[in-house]
Amino acid sequence: MSVDVQLRGMAKRFGDLSVVEQLDLDIAAGSFVSLVGPSGCGKSTLLRMIAGLERPSSGSVTIGGEPPAQVRGAKRVAVIPQQPGLLPWRTVAENARLLLQVNRRRQPVGHPDPLELLAEVGLVDFLDAYPHELSGGMRQRVALVRGFALGAPLVLMDEPFAALDEITRAEMRDLLARLLDRHPATVVFVTHSISEAAYLSDRVLVFSPRPATIVADVPIDLPRPRNSELEDTAVFAEVCVDLRHRLQGAMR
Amino acid sequence: MSGAPRRSAPHLRVVAPVVGVAVFLTVWEAFIRIRDVRPFVLAAPSDILRYFGKAPGDFASASLITTRHALVGFLAALVVALLLGSLLVASPFAERAAAPVLVLIQVAPFVAYISSIVLWLGAGDPPAYFTTALVCLPAFVFAAVGGMRGADPASRELFASVDAPRWEVMWRLRLPSAMPSLFTTARYSIGLALIVSYLVEGSNFSDEGLGAIGKRAAANNIGDALWATVFSMVVLGTIGLGLITLLERWLLHWHASQRTTNA
Repeated sequence: MSVDVQLRGMAKRFGDLSVVEQLDLDIAAGSFVSLVGPSGCGKSTLLRMIAGLERPSSGSVTIGGEPPAQVRGAKRVAVIPQQPGLLPWRTVAENARLLLQVNRRRQPVGHPDPLELLAEVGLVDFLDAYPHELSGGMRQRVALVRGFALGAPLVLMDEPFAALDEITRAEMRDLLARLLDRHPATVVFVTHSISEAAYLSDRVLVFSPRPATIVADVPIDLPRPRNSELEDTAVFAEVCVDLRHRLQGAMR
Repeated sequence: MSGAPRRSAPHLRVVAPVVGVAVFLTVWEAFIRIRDVRPFVLAAPSDILRYFGKAPGDFASASLITTRHALVGFLAALVVALLLGSLLVASPFAERAAAPVLVLIQVAPFVAYISSIVLWLGAGDPPAYFTTALVCLPAFVFAAVGGMRGADPASRELFASVDAPRWEVMWRLRLPSAMPSLFTTARYSIGLALIVSYLVEGSNFSDEGLGAIGKRAAANNIGDALWATVFSMVVLGTIGLGLITLLERWLLHWHASQRTTNA
């Protein structure tokens, strides 16, 4: 149920401003790839180009061999934004179903049941609640479910936990890992948190300041399944230190 | 966790406004008696209420006609504003082109051109409907465009990520996003619609509605009759506002404006 992603010679300019420069990248099907880098370096633009929400100035993206517009049109890519973007007039259950209801003619086959997903993330008692009645963490869980409900082979996440507190953030990270165990997909994950990237990823890409170029491509060989005890191990700390050094190197 | 808005105690919701009106009418009555104001300058509340008693049926049927004029005009303006608004949101060029015309409609004193509209559309209901709709239109269009444009960017991106067709973005996202500003405008426009209808009824040669009674009373210096139409208008406006408030509470229960406590 996963797809590979290929970027070839991809570049993005806004007028004279070069945001992404000549990027070649292969993301293996089913892998979890994190993009880390200084803020404003073009990671989000890159993600938007993969989603087909932004057109590259040159170069190309293919997702399982198809152009992003086609994949998006078939509802086979799930975008999970930084702000949950829940519709305040819809209940939790209705928000979870939103992406299935919109553009209904292109219904993905074999998508998971949003209600079951809500149960998986512990929101079964809140189906009829409205977003304003939920905590920040619960809202982001609904946003996760809304994305995963498409059963898409590619999931793109743009700092989805950035607005959450430390404790909730760790919970969400584990929740995401569990969801992916049951509903595998290729994931491209933008984050500012090095430990989050190390914990979740198979591979971390470190970006330079704008224009975004990859300065380090780090495979994360930590054993799976990963749990919170992993964070206390020396090997995890080593991975984080290594990533931090590479990121600092990129900033210089 | 409870989503129910906390309501103020009954004595605040009912008793306070009644006390306010009673005090206002008493001061008014006292002023007329003490200063011995002549009826055609300003009638006393007691005289106005007595005048109602003479012909309650006349005022009731006139009120119904005025209500019909105001309501049809108000709803027509709302529907046209939603259609026009969704076009203008889609095209910045159309929005720029329409803006000056809308401002023109809004600032032109409609009293000055009512007789032209009556000449054009004839006597009776049509000029009342048309003028009311026209005068209410600009504020509704501004509210619709502003509200639709203000739809949450994260949600818009989400809709784009599944290739949502334009009408679905409009129906499922932009229209609900415009509801709060539309309701705010409706609260103001319901009074405006009544006033425009009243004034057209004074000039449309059909002798129907509160405006026609008011016009006749004013021409003949019958102060209590004139003020009886004003009282009727106040009652209609209050009922209209109350209905909009109820509708708002029902449709916008999710909006921060309808809650006294914030999550």
